[in-house]
Amino acid sequence: MTDKYLVEPDIGFLNEVVGLGGDTLKKCYQCATCSVACPISPDNKPFPRKEMIAASWGLKDRLVGNADVWLCHNCGDCTTLCPRDAKPGDVMAAIRSYAITEYARPKGMAQAVNKINKLPMLLGFPVALIIILGAITGLVNWSPTGEIVHAKFISTWLEDILIIPASIFAVVVFALGLKRFIADIHQNALDAGKTDKEKIDAAEFLKALVRVIPRILKHSKFSQCGENEERATSHMMVFFGFIGLFIVTGIFFVVLYIFGIHGPYSQLNPVKWLANIAGVSLVIGSALMIKNRLAKTDQVSTYKDWQLIGLALALGLTGMLTEMTRLGGAAGLSYTLYFIHLVFVFALFVYLPFSKLAHLVYRTVAMAYAEYSGRKF
Amino acid sequence: MDKKFGVYICTGCGIGESIDTAKLCDLAEEEGLTCKTHSMFCGKEGLDLLKSEVEGGVNTLVLAACSRRVNYDIFRFDGCIVDRVNLREGVVWSHPRAQFPALTEEEKEDEDKFDRVQMMAEDYLRMGMARVERIKLPEPYQLDTLNRKILIIGGGVTGMSAAVDAAKAGYEVTIVEKEATLGGYAAKIRKQLPIKDPYETPIPPIVQSCIDAVEQQSRISVRTNAVVARIAGQPGEFTVTFKKPGEKIEFDVPYPLPEEMMVDESGKELDPETLHQRFMEYNEGRRDILTLDPDGEMFGAVILAAGWRPYEPKKDEFAHLGFGQLPDVVTNHKFEEIAAQGKILRPSDGKEARSVVFIQSPDLESDADFDYAGAVTSLVALKQATYVREDFEDGKSFIFYQHMRTPGLNENFYKKVQQDPGIFMTKGKVAAVSKNGDGMMVEAEDTLLGEKLHVKADMVVLATGMVPLTKDEPVVNMAYRQGPAFRDIDLFNGYVDSNFICFPYETQRTGIYAAGAVRRSMTMEECMEDASGAALKAVQCLESVNRGVSVHPRSGDMTFPDFFFQRCTQCKRCTQECPFGAIDDDAKGTPKPNPTRCRRCGTCMGACPERIINFSDYSIDSIGSMVKAVGVPSEDDYTEPPFRILGLVCENDAYPTLDIAGLNRISYSADVRIIPIRCLGSMNVIWIKDALSQGMDGVFLLGCKHGDDYQCHFVKGSELAEIRVKKIGDALASLALEEERVAQFEVAIDDYPKIPKIINDFVEQIEALGPNPFKGF
Repeated sequence: MTDKYLVEPDIGFLNEVVGLGGDTLKKCYQCATCSVACPISPDNKPFPRKEMIAASWGLKDRLVGNADVWLCHNCGDCTTLCPRDAKPGDVMAAIRSYAITEYARPKGMAQAVNKINKLPMLLGFPVALIIILGAITGLVNWSPTGEIVHAKFISTWLEDILIIPASIFAVVVFALGLKRFIADIHQNALDAGKTDKEKIDAAEFLKALVRVIPRILKHSKFSQCGENEERATSHMMVFFGFIGLFIVTGIFFVVLYIFGIHGPYSQLNPVKWLANIAGVSLVIGSALMIKNRLAKTDQVSTYKDWQLIGLALALGLTGMLTEMTRLGGAAGLSYTLYFIHLVFVFALFVYLPFSKLAHLVYRTVAMAYAEYSGRKF
Repeated sequence: MDKKFGVYICTGCGIGESIDTAKLCDLAEEEGLTCKTHSMFCGKEGLDLLKSEVEGGVNTLVLAACSRRVNYDIFRFDGCIVDRVNLREGVVWSHPRAQFPALTEEEKEDEDKFDRVQMMAEDYLRMGMARVERIKLPEPYQLDTLNRKILIIGGGVTGMSAAVDAAKAGYEVTIVEKEATLGGYAAKIRKQLPIKDPYETPIPPIVQSCIDAVEQQSRISVRTNAVVARIAGQPGEFTVTFKKPGEKIEFDVPYPLPEEMMVDESGKELDPETLHQRFMEYNEGRRDILTLDPDGEMFGAVILAAGWRPYEPKKDEFAHLGFGQLPDVVTNHKFEEIAAQGKILRPSDGKEARSVVFIQSPDLESDADFDYAGAVTSLVALKQATYVREDFEDGKSFIFYQHMRTPGLNENFYKKVQQDPGIFMTKGKVAAVSKNGDGMMVEAEDTLLGEKLHVKADMVVLATGMVPLTKDEPVVNMAYRQGPAFRDIDLFNGYVDSNFICFPYETQRTGIYAAGAVRRSMTMEECMEDASGAALKAVQCLESVNRGVSVHPRSGDMTFPDFFFQRCTQCKRCTQECPFGAIDDDAKGTPKPNPTRCRRCGTCMGACPERIINFSDYSIDSIGSMVKAVGVPSEDDYTEPPFRILGLVCENDAYPTLDIAGLNRISYSADVRIIPIRCLGSMNVIWIKDALSQGMDGVFLLGCKHGDDYQCHFVKGSELAEIRVKKIGDALASLALEEERVAQFEVAIDDYPKIPKIINDFVEQIEALGPNPFKGF
């Protein structure tokens, strides 16, 4: 705990959090019902009460680099029980949203990802990239014939020329962001008396991360939620859908480049089964999420929320439909869908560190940090 | 009046099943009175029976049925004395046969067996018959000339509102204002708190509309640059002397002698003449209270709306907050003055104050707010916080509070202010304010944001309180023997005393009602509502005086204390003990009662050692005769005679408590006999002596709580009774009786579940002492 803390409210920050869906934050009168109601908040310095007053005082330094905002899973129990309708759950989400933008570089890109009017540009970019690179390299065949093989249309070389640098870009952006993020959350924990660890020991931290992973996979925190219990299910479907598809992509990458076997692969192949199951899971999970969000009128849903769910659904749908139209022999449709699918995949990777999906990294790190720092979470 | 008696016994509500009412009738007839029974006197048939009796000449009715606290409107017959013998709640319901079985036929044969419940009913009937024999129909006390004008002291929002309300009700009003113009504090502020829905934003002061309303009323006259020198007389005929502020005149009110001047060198009390002489010397140049100003103006009732002044911190009182040392640390009053003049500028250098810290509580040790603060100071901090925001786009207001009090719909105001992105609030203690370069640094501890923090401030505002003007001086200046001010009972911190939980507006002086910030810190909205209440009380007072009845709390009581002066010893006890200053005394010490000041509690009757003060229907004799009517069986009657214990019970809260116990079938010993009295303050110890000397085994008093959260309707009654009971301990000892035979208990009106324990424990304690040795003499 710092001896004396100089409070300098940042009204600009406050207004931004308000704009990101935290418009109720000033209603809080600090009864702490939220911290009591929260099923996953730790006993020592529980959230979100302290985050609520810090937000209403515009104390950016106490929120952006605060691991606790990431420990929150937006169950919504606090929001339901809040006697003032201050919706702490939504405020926490808005703070997270702000934090993602804050840690991402370049800043301009982060801001663009947050704005709906920049969406055509963001999606237009990969479209143009494929067309231009295709024209330069000749790796796009605009009129493939014969059996439907997507590689005939856009070569896997071109695909990987796009996706691999995109993934590397995402990793680099995250790495830079995480470097500051970890330093900040550690400093915040020291200031607030949430930890007794003075320095971060990398090896211990990684061990903590390994301990946390099974919990994330099992959604053990998420399923403690009272109010939004059904969200754990849909989240799990989307989550495992993505993981399944990531594994499938990895295996086929190896199969293609090491064994030189080209797709399309047989539907009897167990890897293909996994791909199909994961794809269906992604589609159903994201559709459920949309349904839940539409039904929950008391919860704020911002552009960033819809953007992520929409992307997940679009990825799943275009992927599955590409396959189905291929099997159905609708060549033109299948190639078109494949093109769109590719655009979304590119968008997923490139915009990942700037979108809500970045929570996958920040929450994991925050949970690992909580585990490392001995915070009982 | 020639009394013609009739006894009526109701057999309904379970009375007939439990009690042998025929035997009760025999009892009445033995006394030569006619007795009738009916199964439901409160029904049409029963009531018709009573009416025909009254038409037939009966004018003194003993109605043995339910408690007098119910159906009182039904059993009221003009020109008749009615006594209600409480058989239902007091006997049958509180002593169910399941616990107090009736005698079997066999037992009835045995003369040594007795039925406690039947005995109780018979005693109560005898007591009722004894009482009606001793009481008279009251006749109203009428003033020669009743003045209906209302005097309002203070021309602020409260006074003006009260004046308009009273004028609209048809009463002549005079407002006396010490300043040159009407308006008071309300005229000196930038904005005021909201007064109507949606209660969200501060509004321009409404004071001008109040002044306009006053000017439009032809019934209101205004006297500015004037104060009250004295108010003499009593409600309905107050003689008021006005003067200019600061002036010294012969009709300035005299002050009572300090206690040390009331005794001689050896500490003995001086005789009345010397006392009066000293009093006149002490108040040299002033006329005695009984001398009326021939040029005085007559009024019927007074409303005190003197208001408040801003608290002035003593030097170094808030040194840790920089007050007195740093020029930019100011009180909320000073801040309002600055705000009323224009933009918020710092007193030190006239620079704009863009960051202002509002401090609600001064202490690190306690969580108390500033003295004389309240909800208003919380609300004012919210209001002033918005000034900073409206003056400067980047303005910031910080409020550190221990309590944020925004009662009622003011919560909307709080919510609205809270929404302002530039207003920051936290509970917390402010440790220090220090100089920080050009501005200041405020240090706070235990805040909602953490243990210790700093905030930079251009100005710091202390939420100091609103001191009632009555704290500094009496203001009302009553020419009363007990003194010119409302008696300070050390409970209300200088605010005008009134038992504001039960009786807002009431002071301890009948006919003089307090309203507004003189009662407690109030918003203008509250003041205006308070003003209406006080205006209505003044009207109620005038109309009650007009009919010769009591105003409060025994509204409509036509009796008043009657003094038998031939036997008065000028002991002054009645003058001193009257909680309402109703009794003055002359140079010889002879009491001078002021019946319209009186609240009919009977404290004077309880106090009088000569027992010369009585009411027509409530007297030493009437209660004494009831005590004597209680049958006290001795060993001559039964081998093991039952104990007899008298309960003198305050009829304001304790008697209803017993009734509620009965209503809930909560039972207590059947050996007690309850007599309701007006207030424990009216308890004369002669009743206790009578009871014990006729062989009763114990006496208990049941009354209201006293002390800091007193509930006595007459402020001091239960306290005075306790003092008197302590004093009779010696007398008991001289009779070889244990002091424990007399006890006093406190109950609140909702304490009925405690009744059995209180009464039964006392009964057991008496049984342990054994029977009264005087029994049977």
